[in-house]
Amino acid sequence: MGTRLACETLAQTLKRPIIFVSGKGGVGKTAVSQAIALSHSRRKKTLWIGFEDPLRPAGETQKISRSLFHMNCVADLAFEEYVGMKIKIPGLTRLFTQNKLIQFLAKAGPGIHELVLLGKLWHERHNYDQIVADMPSTGYGLAMFQSIENWSTMFRGGPLFKDAEGMLATFADPATTGQLIVSLPEEMPLQESLELDQFLSRIFPENRASFVVNRRFPAGDTCDTSPEKAPENPDTWPSPVTSSMLEYARKRYQLEKFNLRIWNDAAIQFGELPFVAPITSGRPEASANALVGILAEHLQQRGYV
Amino acid sequence: MSARKNLSIEALLKKRRILITCGTGGVGKTTLSAAVAMRAAMMGKKTVVVTIDPAKRLSTSLGLDSLGDHPTDITPLLKKAGQKVGKEVPGTLEAIIPDTRQTLERFFVGLTTHPTLAQRLVNNPLFQIFAKEFSGTNEYMAMQKLLTLVESGKYDCIILDTPPSRNTLDFLGAPKLLSQFFDAQLIHWLITPSNRIVAAGMKKAISMLERLTGAGFMGHLLDFVGALFEVREAFTSNMKRIIDLMESEQVGFVMVTGPNPDSAAELGHFRQTLREHRFRFDGLLVNRTLQHLEPPTSGTEGTEMTAGIEILRALQAREKLAIEKLSQTLGAERDELLTAPELVRDVHSVEDLAYVAMALEAHA
Repeated sequence: MGTRLACETLAQTLKRPIIFVSGKGGVGKTAVSQAIALSHSRRKKTLWIGFEDPLRPAGETQKISRSLFHMNCVADLAFEEYVGMKIKIPGLTRLFTQNKLIQFLAKAGPGIHELVLLGKLWHERHNYDQIVADMPSTGYGLAMFQSIENWSTMFRGGPLFKDAEGMLATFADPATTGQLIVSLPEEMPLQESLELDQFLSRIFPENRASFVVNRRFPAGDTCDTSPEKAPENPDTWPSPVTSSMLEYARKRYQLEKFNLRIWNDAAIQFGELPFVAPITSGRPEASANALVGILAEHLQQRGYV
Repeated sequence: MSARKNLSIEALLKKRRILITCGTGGVGKTTLSAAVAMRAAMMGKKTVVVTIDPAKRLSTSLGLDSLGDHPTDITPLLKKAGQKVGKEVPGTLEAIIPDTRQTLERFFVGLTTHPTLAQRLVNNPLFQIFAKEFSGTNEYMAMQKLLTLVESGKYDCIILDTPPSRNTLDFLGAPKLLSQFFDAQLIHWLITPSNRIVAAGMKKAISMLERLTGAGFMGHLLDFVGALFEVREAFTSNMKRIIDLMESEQVGFVMVTGPNPDSAAELGHFRQTLREHRFRFDGLLVNRTLQHLEPPTSGTEGTEMTAGIEILRALQAREKLAIEKLSQTLGAERDELLTAPELVRDVHSVEDLAYVAMALEAHA
């Protein structure tokens, strides 16, 4: 279940008013970030924010409960809104953002889109007590942070530069912003999260990320769960295939333990979330919400939130 | 009732010379692309797989540690692995992990006969951001690589693993995204406005943008766009060759997904978009299925793993639902669904990859 130190580190990170939830595609960032937001919304007005989700309405803020809101942040709309804030004359803003050339330049200027997405989140901190961001998977998430760094170093002067600097200051401040890296107990995501951590620590050296491993498969009663004993190396098993559910379950636990050496070797403290069995009855949204509810309970029980 | 033909991976590889695998991050697209390529080599084909982001230990065990344009021949490794799974390998298999950054630079340099213009473009700080971060660049470079391989005439089977993406459709949208940069009329207006009214309007808009971004940015942007303008014709004709290739009968698209009911909507979108582009959908690979796992038989067996077994049963139930939904979405093409079973360890040896290759089969 992770050590006490891991629990404290994680709780520290998840206390901050802005939380970025990052990781490789498919590790459960959406469910984990929603569960964190749900937990916070018991006490605080909370915004759970995602980016460029083609399956949700663009730019819309949806009220999930009395104190929990979701926003699907979309670059084109965020750009328009940003320009509006700077120009301050509605007619002129429209003329400007609807100008074909400007639309072209906004696209041709690499990094502008990423910048305005984070800018929107940064701006929303005035409207909510708590923001939890479901970041795009590794590469795209990094590009967003990279773009604010680019703007703050490459193009000096101008309001964009000033805002990029402001964002960097906010996101680098451990009193305000927490970075959470989510992974599965699988080799690639564990490895990739170390690279993600390195990248983030280069931009935010004073504000290091916390870690959580999601979907830990349950150990059986006879499994050796002691952290001291070195796990078996699965590569020594004669075959990668099995048709027995029981053998699969036993080996899966071993495999995860073996994979987690990647984080243990890097001396990473991490929290753990259990594998929540999928719920297939009922409507898909209802099952997704039930899953988030269970995850939120685990977050609270374990003292992470 | 007509006899239903079951899609086999071999039938698919016989039909198409080039297969492009698409899917969101984390579904095992890279592993399956390599496995499909192996099957092609086992059929006797001269095969190459272009892979973008393999697991470190897999690429190490394939001897693929360096990025670059030169293919690595992994036939000897494959022949050895073939012995282990009892399969002869009459064909060959090469693998390439292209360095997209290098490919992009070379691509732009290749578009112009003026070395100074190419340098101007490549040295522009915006080019650096563009190369690294602009979504669409990696995808387009993967297509470019494909074109080069096809034109080399060296292979009878090419498998292209697409870059990791947020969204299965990202790959298909890349040419359109990039072609926005070459909107000749807009660039023309910007660089050489033909009449005074347009010029005045542009000047005003640009000065406004300049006020937002600071002076340095606009200078670089105009230079960047200006340099692109110079290479637009070469770019456009290159893009046409790529699109012609992708529309041709040689190329088929395969979607890779996990056994999750939510992927049915994604599949629907994907096929719709393929149709709009006049590209060919060739099938769906559902990876990491658990259907083959037999539950414990006696009541006493495995009681110590009850929690794990329960999860596996729930996953099987969800998988069943997923396969139903995906088959429904496939409709008349429901036979084009292949599954690959979950293994008990991560794939990082050629032998394990051969197991996956052999296990690729049509869903019964």
